[in-house]
Amino acid sequence: MAARPPPARPHIGLNPSPRFSSYSTSEWVDDDAWDSGSDSESPTKTSWKQPTSKHASSSSPKPVPKSGQNNSSSSTLASSYTHLHAPSPSSYPPRPEQPQPVNKNGWTIVSKSTDRLRGADHDESAHTGDGAAGAEGDGSDLILGDLDPEVAEQPAPAPSKPRQDQGSLRDDVDEIVNDPLHLIRRRPPKRNHSLPSSSEPGGQLARERSIKSNRRQKFVGCIMQEDVNMAQLRKLAWNGVPSDLRPVTWPLLLGYMPLPAPLRASTLARKRQEYLSLVELAFARNREGLDQQIWHQIEIDVPRTRPGVKLWMQASTQRSLERILYVWAIRHPASGYVQGINDLATPFFQVFLSAYIDSDPEEFDPTLLPSHVLNAIEADSFWCLSRLLDGIQDNYIATQPGIQRSVKRMTELVARIDPPLAAHLESENVEFMQFAFRWMNCLLMREISVENTIRMWDTYLAEGADAFSQFHLYVCSAFLVQWSKKLREMDFQGIIMFLQSLPTQGWTDHEIEMLLSEAFVHYSTWHNAQSHFGK
Amino acid sequence: MSEGTNFDYLFKVVLIGDSGVGKSNLLSRFTRNEFNLESKSTIGVEFATRSLNVDGKNIKAQIWDTAGQERYRAITSAYYRGAVGALLVYDISKHATYVNVTRWLKELRDHADSNIVIMLVGNKSDLKHLRAVPTDEAKAFAAENELSFIETSALDASNVEGAFQTILTDIYRIVSARSLEQSADHVKPSAGDSITVQPSIDTSAAGQKTGCC
Ligand SMILES: Nc1nc2c(ncn2[C@@H]2O[C@H](COP(=O)(O)OP(=O)(O)OP(=O)(O)O)[C@@H](O)[C@H]2O)c(=O)[nH]1
Ligand SMILES: [Mg+2]
Repeated sequence: MAARPPPARPHIGLNPSPRFSSYSTSEWVDDDAWDSGSDSESPTKTSWKQPTSKHASSSSPKPVPKSGQNNSSSSTLASSYTHLHAPSPSSYPPRPEQPQPVNKNGWTIVSKSTDRLRGADHDESAHTGDGAAGAEGDGSDLILGDLDPEVAEQPAPAPSKPRQDQGSLRDDVDEIVNDPLHLIRRRPPKRNHSLPSSSEPGGQLARERSIKSNRRQKFVGCIMQEDVNMAQLRKLAWNGVPSDLRPVTWPLLLGYMPLPAPLRASTLARKRQEYLSLVELAFARNREGLDQQIWHQIEIDVPRTRPGVKLWMQASTQRSLERILYVWAIRHPASGYVQGINDLATPFFQVFLSAYIDSDPEEFDPTLLPSHVLNAIEADSFWCLSRLLDGIQDNYIATQPGIQRSVKRMTELVARIDPPLAAHLESENVEFMQFAFRWMNCLLMREISVENTIRMWDTYLAEGADAFSQFHLYVCSAFLVQWSKKLREMDFQGIIMFLQSLPTQGWTDHEIEMLLSEAFVHYSTWHNAQSHFGK
Repeated sequence: MSEGTNFDYLFKVVLIGDSGVGKSNLLSRFTRNEFNLESKSTIGVEFATRSLNVDGKNIKAQIWDTAGQERYRAITSAYYRGAVGALLVYDISKHATYVNVTRWLKELRDHADSNIVIMLVGNKSDLKHLRAVPTDEAKAFAAENELSFIETSALDASNVEGAFQTILTDIYRIVSARSLEQSADHVKPSAGDSITVQPSIDTSAAGQKTGCC
């Protein structure tokens, strides 16, 4: 598919470590995650590396007044059994046709030392119940959950109340809400017997699996550290995060979850509570109290988000998405809600949802979730989306200067990388803005599947704070250039039509990884030269 | 690849109007005979073509569907340049989208060629029980502003073909009348030259026309 032989992947042929070390850990995680009272909204405090000061000032949002009640008590939340009686965001905004949630208790925050033990006990019994597990998991007993991701990612049979039609909730959701690492500490309840490799241990498949399993072991080791080493985590994540570790890894990479383990539970509890307050504030008055322009556009777009996918067609998911988008928009008046941001929220929601269920998130009916779990998923999605958007805010402010700049730079870059293609596009009067605008505005989400996007974001998040505006340019350029041969045989209309619906339907992680490697090569070659070209 | 060059005229037309009025569905109904109850929002612009027969001539419509949200105005208005026709769409069940027609007309005045042929399109005519814009009112408004007018439904396909057929015919008549004027002046006419507004974004396509002379 690629027009040229693919280069070696960065982790094999090139050593990415100089790049990694060029960011200091503190740059990336110098962060408010456990610094109560701030929420990364202030440009001076943001953990995103700001390329220019202009960017920071032109897009600086006006913080919404916060109810300060939560900050003072946050540190005590983790250690006690607390009922906060916060409103459930699922009751906002009031919708006449929506039944009110039965559970109005809001948060139940539980974090006790016995949680861990309980989880382990449970694992043990489930584990010994299955003979195949012993054969596969031998030697890895020290690290619970050290499994081949392929195995772990299988929708494992739920130990209780399987509801196959709507998807199945794990029975330990309460532990996961309070302790993100609970996911890793416990083994999945059962192994999948049907994997072919168990019958051919010496085969190629088995070798690949052992490499993966080894990688996974390193990953788990890294995440389980009392104080996670960010440089190491980023290096590992660059090559892809095992899907069951994403709900933990992404928040760490984004600086949403603190690196030191002891701070995590309290930080998550505080941020989730803070989100609840934001929702309450935003929807405090009835519908007429909403910003009509913003709300109107969100209402039009939410039903058009991932159309046809069961999860996103559920009323409950749509209400969550509305709240996430609306709260973000009113906190960022310089941009407000811009179409396409809805797309960007979906990977987070699906990744966080996946932590609590044993089935395909896209097929899941979130009304099965206890309200405090849904709140946690929604709040985590909100904060992580906010962090992502912090780095690309000028894509969405008036006249969208971030996109204009990115498209211009991409045009220059392609002229360097593939002069014949650039010349052909020019001779056919194709302007990059005609197709690449969307590539920037939706981060290629309209071009590739959500699964592809999620894999791509592993690398973006590992790359660093500005990957969504900088590295992304190189990915877009590599993305275009791989169809060079085809494109050079097309005329204006053919080119535009082709680029509007690219044949990426069958793409797996493999194609994405090729693309990322290619982009990395271009990045290494051209990034520091950027200042030399263009005018 | 494109359909080649077997057309006599190529006209660039833009679809504009508020977000959610059904522009993308009108386009997909016209070019692919498809309708999507839950289509994705348009980001920036999208492009499609279809050929039609008008007065025995093969007319190729190159249609740019634009994003309705205000924030995209800076991007989308660049596509008005070179357009010889515009379908200005509102939703008959949403009065606000009709009120905004005035704003869209101003957009066109500011960014498009002054000769552009504009058609006012009241879409979603299938939503009879939700009608918020009386047909007569819109008709009168269109007449006042010298726009042609039609009500369509991308959902049940009514008048979609008619809307495009009408605007392309109007454009063709104007263009061929101008060609006649020009040939009377002994200017060798070609279909490309006869379109007074030269597409600037996609001049390549305009340049490919087989001359009608
Ligand atoms: N009942 C009915 N619904 C329609 C019709 N045309 C479009 N819709 C629906 O209206 C919604 C919006 O349609 P789109 O075609 O995406 O609207 P748009 O004008 O392209 O919106 P933007 O891309 O955001 O500017 C979709 O849910 C469509 O299914 C119609 O003729 N009748
Ligand atoms: Mg559209």
